[in-house]
Amino acid sequence: MASFGRFIRLAVGACAFLLVIAASVPCNAQQVNPTASSVKEQQLLQELNRIQGRVSIPDQRSGVLEQPAGRDWREFRNVTLRWIGGIAILGTIAAMVIFYLTRGMVRLESGRSGRTLVRFTAFERFVHWITATCFIVLAISGLNITFCRPLLLPLIGFEAFSEWSQWAKYAHIYLSFPFTIGVVLIFLMWIAGNIPNKVDVDWLKRGGGIVGHDHPPAYRFNAGQKAIYWIVVIGGGAVAVTGYALMFPFYLSGIEGMQLAQIVHSIVAVLFIAAMLAHIYIGTIGMEGAFDAMGTGEVDLNWAKEHHSLWVEEEQAKGHTPSGSTPRPIAAE
Amino acid sequence: MKVFLAALLFAAIVAIGVSILLEAIQEPSYVAFSTGGARVGNPGHNLVGPNG
Repeated sequence: MASFGRFIRLAVGACAFLLVIAASVPCNAQQVNPTASSVKEQQLLQELNRIQGRVSIPDQRSGVLEQPAGRDWREFRNVTLRWIGGIAILGTIAAMVIFYLTRGMVRLESGRSGRTLVRFTAFERFVHWITATCFIVLAISGLNITFCRPLLLPLIGFEAFSEWSQWAKYAHIYLSFPFTIGVVLIFLMWIAGNIPNKVDVDWLKRGGGIVGHDHPPAYRFNAGQKAIYWIVVIGGGAVAVTGYALMFPFYLSGIEGMQLAQIVHSIVAVLFIAAMLAHIYIGTIGMEGAFDAMGTGEVDLNWAKEHHSLWVEEEQAKGHTPSGSTPRPIAAE
Repeated sequence: MKVFLAALLFAAIVAIGVSILLEAIQEPSYVAFSTGGARVGNPGHNLVGPNG
């Protein structure tokens, strides 16, 4: 009995000893990182759509601390837009150069007759030139905003670039008003002659006669001119509306609306510039006799018969006779 | 040529007229967005500084 008691005391002592040993050994099996599942900064910036709160200063927009969509907009404005604009404008210029070097100027095949027909009145030309001259300045000043910080500033330096850009900005803002007046007047003046019809379908199928010596019939405005008209009216309207939204910031929308307005304004503007480059080309060096229409308002009768034969018939039916010298009689031998 | 010059003149007159009108009816942001308790003057044109 005494030996059993000694055994029991030995066993309990051993267990107690083992427990003390186990408790004193530090637990090195697993390191616990207390911040393993906490939120990282980048995750925080992307998770929340918007971080905004209350502010006591009058400009309540300052209560927006984070607007993650603005980073996407910045990527569009600095990268995507420059690619779109560069490809559209430089691509159009390259296409025109290649076309001019291969096709050359579209000549007046039957030569000038010396007799002219009134094509555009003084008021029509006045409205066209208001819109056109404003467009040139708006295009250059607008392209300055998009492209010239990386392209022009390194060439001319900060002082010159900021002075130039300041004047370009004022020109862009204030000339937008006569430009808009011009677009509205163009829309009203020429809407009647620019409704598409079957003659335009045939004209387009024949490529407008731009390749070869074809002369598809056309009324006062051919399908190409109607396309330019609608580009000016719709594109001009779009840049005007979005431009005024940008010019009077936050009158119509919050920051998301302003970003959308800038996206629409800039994309439409660069495509508009590309289209107008083609218009300027065909109206100047691209086609013999074309510039007279907007220059003097009168076009050669042979030019009108070759390019707008149906319009000449209409004018003659109205009694609008060509002016200028009659063809010289051939001297009898 | 006369029509072209008339168009340039019209555009310039409208642009200058609009600039005068907007100058008259708008107020600068440092006026619009400050309360009576703030003493904010015209910050000038160069916010970066003479060496910027």
